Amino acid sequence: MEDIAKDTLIRASQGDVQAFEEVYKASSSFVYNVALRVVNNREDALEVAQEVFMIIYHKLKTFRFESSFKTWAYRITANHAINFAKKHSRAKTVPYEDAFGEGAVANEFEAKIDQEHHSRLVESLLAELNPDQRACVVLRDIQGLSYEEIARALNININTVRSRLKRSREKLLSLKKTIQEAGRS
Amino acid sequence: MKKCGHFKDLILADYIDGELDKNSTRGLESHLLDCSDCRAFLKEVKDNAARPWKQTPRQPVPEELWGAIKQRIEHENETAGPFADFMDKLKGFIVFPRMVPVFASLMLMFFAGSIALNTIQVQQTQAKDQGEYLVSLLGPAASSVQAEDNDLGTPIEHYFL
Repeated sequence: MEDIAKDTLIRASQGDVQAFEEVYKASSSFVYNVALRVVNNREDALEVAQEVFMIIYHKLKTFRFESSFKTWAYRITANHAINFAKKHSRAKTVPYEDAFGEGAVANEFEAKIDQEHHSRLVESLLAELNPDQRACVVLRDIQGLSYEEIARALNININTVRSRLKRSREKLLSLKKTIQEAGRS
Repeated sequence: MKKCGHFKDLILADYIDGELDKNSTRGLESHLLDCSDCRAFLKEVKDNAARPWKQTPRQPVPEELWGAIKQRIEHENETAGPFADFMDKLKGFIVFPRMVPVFASLMLMFFAGSIALNTIQVQQTQAKDQGEYLVSLLGPAASSVQAEDNDLGTPIEHYFL
């Protein structure tokens, strides 16, 4: 997420729509992409992102700059996306066999993968994780946040971040193994 | 094997995320030089559990998103009354969690106050009872004095005065 000048945040908090548009431009990519990966669906991600920005717009009026705007926005986005994903858990959009199975490009992870196929792969992998694990993976592996930033954003202990990431990766490894074994038999 | 389990745990999270401290990193990397099983595990984790995410491109934000947000803000501004802004600010101050210590202190003060008041009342009743008892021991003379002049106060004051 890009840095936003304090002056812009203050103007936005006073209801200045132009200033709020600047806030939006600096943070919309983060908000939308986190929402997209956690809810794993474009339409839902749009809904979540819209709600997140409305919450930011309303709560900016009482934001006291005690914590950084980034941390605050990370928290609103992650929590809102996780809650949405928990409430509206949908069926997987892409079966993971399509990503790992025979239809997948040979040497999938070694070769340069085309974008569409990669997007399907990411969707199918994320669909295997629960919303809490998904949020940790998205914030760490896709958005590049540190363990400490993730802990603050999700309001959880660093060890919980660590164990969620570990379990997610174990799950993916065992998934890959299962599919490879199924492919051989 | 137990040692390998410990190193594999580190590989799965802190090591591939670059969050492992220097000492532990040195320990792990020196173990990797000797252990082909852990080296294979590291490669497996990197290839199958970490790399897919690293290559994930950021999706462009759909253009309709800002339009929808702006429309909602403008609609809210049109329908909101003149005090909407003031009320929003007020809500910020009357946040329940901030009021919890205040309510807790008030409740404590109330309970402490009522206990103290109760104690004073009990003490006063006891003093009155004791006084009446002393007067009754002195007989009808003292009782008549009390009957004649009730303005003097307690029975003990009657006795000494």
